[in-house]
Amino acid sequence: MNVQQLADQLRRDNLFMKNVTRWEVLPARPARTAPFPAGMDGRLKAALESRGIHELYIHQAASLEATARGEDVTVVTPTASGKTMCYNLPVLSAILQDEDTRALYLFPTKALSADQVSELYEMIEEMGVNIKTYTYDGDTPAAARRAVRQAGHIVVTNPDMLHSGILPHHTKWVKLFENLKYIVIDEIHTYRGVFGSNLANVLRRLLRLCEFYGSHPQFILCSATIANPKELAETLIGRPVTLVDENGAPMGERHFVFYNPPVVNRQLGIREGAIHVTRNIAGTLLKNGIQTITFARSRLTVEVLTRYLKDLVRDPLGNAGKVRGYRGGYLPGERRAIERGLRAGQVDAVVSTNALELGIDIGSLDACVMCGYPGTIASAWQQAGRAGRRKGVSMVFFIASSAAIDQYIVNHPDYLLQQSPENALLNPDNLYILLSHFKCAAFELPFREGDGFGNAPGCGEMLEYLSDQGILHEAEGTYHWSAEDFPASELSLRSAATENFIIVDITDPAHHRVVGEMDRFTAPMLLHENAIYMHEGTQYQVEKLDFDACKAFIRSVDVGYYTDADLNISLSLLDIEKEEPFAGTAVAALGEIKVTALVTMFKKIRFDTHETLGFGHVRLPETDMHTTAMWWTLPDALADRMAGDRLKNGMMGVANLLRIVCPLYLMCSAQDIAVVYQVRSPITDKPTIILYDNCPGGIGLSQKAFGMKELLLSRALQVAEDCPCEYGCPSCAGPVGEIGEDGKRTAIRLLKELLK
Amino acid sequence: MNLMEKLRAVGGTSGKPAAPAEASTDCRHFAVYRPIEDFPGAFGLTAETLRLMSDREIPEKLDPRKILYLDTETTGLGGSGTVAFLVGMGYLTDNGFEVHQFLLRDYPEEPFQLKHVAAGLGKFDVLCTFNGTTFDVPLLESRFRMNRMNPDCLDMPHLDLLHICRRLWKLRLGRCNLGRLEEVILGQPRTDDIPGSEVPERYFTYLKTKQIELLEDVLSHNAQDIISLCVLLNHMADLYLHPEKIRFSEDVYSMGRALERINRTENARHCYRLARRGRMGDSAGTALAMSYRRAGEKEQAAEIWREMIRERRGGVLPYVELAKYEEHVRRDVKAALELTEKAMLLLSEPVLREGGTVQETKNELQYRRQRLMRKLKER
Repeated sequence: MNVQQLADQLRRDNLFMKNVTRWEVLPARPARTAPFPAGMDGRLKAALESRGIHELYIHQAASLEATARGEDVTVVTPTASGKTMCYNLPVLSAILQDEDTRALYLFPTKALSADQVSELYEMIEEMGVNIKTYTYDGDTPAAARRAVRQAGHIVVTNPDMLHSGILPHHTKWVKLFENLKYIVIDEIHTYRGVFGSNLANVLRRLLRLCEFYGSHPQFILCSATIANPKELAETLIGRPVTLVDENGAPMGERHFVFYNPPVVNRQLGIREGAIHVTRNIAGTLLKNGIQTITFARSRLTVEVLTRYLKDLVRDPLGNAGKVRGYRGGYLPGERRAIERGLRAGQVDAVVSTNALELGIDIGSLDACVMCGYPGTIASAWQQAGRAGRRKGVSMVFFIASSAAIDQYIVNHPDYLLQQSPENALLNPDNLYILLSHFKCAAFELPFREGDGFGNAPGCGEMLEYLSDQGILHEAEGTYHWSAEDFPASELSLRSAATENFIIVDITDPAHHRVVGEMDRFTAPMLLHENAIYMHEGTQYQVEKLDFDACKAFIRSVDVGYYTDADLNISLSLLDIEKEEPFAGTAVAALGEIKVTALVTMFKKIRFDTHETLGFGHVRLPETDMHTTAMWWTLPDALADRMAGDRLKNGMMGVANLLRIVCPLYLMCSAQDIAVVYQVRSPITDKPTIILYDNCPGGIGLSQKAFGMKELLLSRALQVAEDCPCEYGCPSCAGPVGEIGEDGKRTAIRLLKELLK
Repeated sequence: MNLMEKLRAVGGTSGKPAAPAEASTDCRHFAVYRPIEDFPGAFGLTAETLRLMSDREIPEKLDPRKILYLDTETTGLGGSGTVAFLVGMGYLTDNGFEVHQFLLRDYPEEPFQLKHVAAGLGKFDVLCTFNGTTFDVPLLESRFRMNRMNPDCLDMPHLDLLHICRRLWKLRLGRCNLGRLEEVILGQPRTDDIPGSEVPERYFTYLKTKQIELLEDVLSHNAQDIISLCVLLNHMADLYLHPEKIRFSEDVYSMGRALERINRTENARHCYRLARRGRMGDSAGTALAMSYRRAGEKEQAAEIWREMIRERRGGVLPYVELAKYEEHVRRDVKAALELTEKAMLLLSEPVLREGGTVQETKNELQYRRQRLMRKLKER
């Protein structure tokens, strides 16, 4: 059966359709094209034509025009729409015109860099010109670095390397900085939160150096579909951009099927496992020879599904090889082989984590099966975009797991289909992040009195502060770096806290090895002494936590329980920024708070049965975090009318509901925010529900939540009301055992009052 | 909270405010003089001797007074925020040795300091440093660029003594920093020297207090480094001219390797011959024979192997190499077989085992023996 026939058959299958909550058909879209621009270099044109390209899609043409006008451009394009041409063409033609021209390409991962360089090589080889493209990252051999610095026309790197390997040594890159004409940043939607806030500051540093060397580079940025590509791009680079978002690439008809596995135990509300269902659907596709990608959320699930599917087609001819797994942790060579296999059609089915979500070129497949919601709308569309030929029909299956978010999505498909994807938020002015980069900038080039740092606020104060601390030394109006350390080496772009805990496996006394890192605010929870720490499916016990040295020593164990630490959080108010009345006597506010966390004890919990086996004490110092928060204060009257426990249970229910809803609308992972309730809050002296950014300084999630203060509550109410459970369940207000029998009802009542 | 308070909360607090600086017109200059008697043989240094030490470009005619010895003291270990707050340059005159040091009393004096450096470099033909190729020169280049000055003056013939010293003494000494070389090689241990790691902090404290006494140690450390460069160079030149004076077999063997690396084959062989009597005899003999073999002088190589076999030096290698020679050059299969069998016998003696490669060598010998037997039969 081909895809169309399979779709028809499934639609007639009542047993299957019973569990389908929505079958959406996205119509086919024709190609919209424009001719090559008039002034295009003949060599470039010939190279394109020899690859069968005789005209451009309109988004390619539009971005080329904007670039030619000297504007900074952001191109929003779905997977496989030829976005790389939007930057390769202007860059190559600029170098063809003037061989001194330099360009810098930034990709979020090394795998993507490798992919891009090989594509560029092909173009350059086709033209037979001497344009040197080099990758400069941690893997570049020391001997080759000199050549990259001197002769590379196009330097391909990642933000981390730019931050710690290039900018602090800019005097070795004079050629690049003096002649930098284009800065290309691909996959900008991945630069949200802490990583994005860091990149924005790295770019402030980069532009500052370009100014010193007298170059004025233009930006060409590419993003997957998100709600606010223009805002994101402009925040990242600190300048206005021209948005190109009209996609000219053709697309065949697509069927988007939402499938909720049937309930198999009504009393306990247990559904058939998503992995099991995924195996059946992917198996059907595989047997029909339909090239399919299956996305799973964890590496473990990827391995399990890969094995299931391999078993389905295993035969003496070696057909099991047509099914491949793909995830982080595979060696680069193996990954490249799988990518080639997919493009060449030798691989029929691939099971992947979100590692294949980014723009790695694997061609287009016929079908996509999502085993669970990947966490954001943007991500879901990126995964779905892997299926979809330019001609012909393709299918996307969303298989919901029993997780609260999955159940919300499968029961409200419009959220995914209609809602614009999430906003990507970042906050370049997060003081922790800004100050760290300001130090790096001061190391790279002394600040003069009155100098700015991009559009960052408070430069004068930062100079004064760093001088007071003896890190900068002021002389004749210039602030010189005056410390021995190398500030870029102390700062990791992918997390906000400067000091991470290092996790050391000491199972083999002769060979201690570092297995991971954890930020200092999470470490007390998961790495306290005697905690069971899980890593790659292996259990370890924490033997020692050296808090001052930021090191945890773990030893491999095999026990039948896990541990859960009790975290005592106390909040205190630092500053109120905004306060607005809400539903009569309720108040919503935005401000800064101090979160003090103290872990005092932990529980040992048996796997499967979840019974408590025992307790242990934890002796660790408190950790403080300053961050931004928003909070809803309940109306006095409401609080007065309810007895102590009832109010508490209701508020707990509301907090649980907000924990489900907020990550969806703030486009963040569940760990990025915290939602707590306080029956008598020290912040307001009243019953209050508080949401805060779970990272020092905050990355703007609380601000965004404040802007959605009604929407979030109404969505929380919707989840509670739509959930078929009577007294609450883990998919809505929380299990009865936690919130009591009246918890869900009270939560609904509280939300209705707040939304009046 | 205002921003300043927030910054204190975010970044913590420490330290004291800086003292205001004065407008600058030049950097501070210090000069140190040493009598010529401290530099025996310094005027005898020739370009030819330097060419034994390094294959770097060296002017045709070399005046020892045209070598500039340079060393910097810095605020860190590199990157564009690291400053050479002190640059010392020394050279030989008819009357002695002069060191001129240019100190930044504060950062704005840097352009003046760099002008002195550029002017200084311009007057000399060869630059001599210790680890200057990877550290001092790139750092100064960076400083020139940071001050929008032309760094081309740094582009001159450069003799980096670290590399030369490493080739000569690493085998015997392991680490080869300047302090250790002064002590072990020149027999002049330093006392009361400031450890290099404390230098940046000393300078930062000086910047805050402007008490020049704080830098006395640093200045004398820098001057001593530069003087040692000159002494060390002359000492090495003497050794290169008279390898027979070298007391350690390791050193003379190392010198042979260093000479061979830059294709001074005859000089290298001389060193190997000298080293054959000492602890490095096996390696020296092997290196000597190999040097002949590479040059196609197979008979000379064979002679060395024969000598080594007579002296029972070098384990099985001389047998193997001589067997190859007998088989392929002299076409004496029988002699080759005999040598191979002797080597196999030798390898079974536990004393002469050489660790993990024994089995490999055994296999090779076995293979060779079989081939030779076959050849014998075919005749």
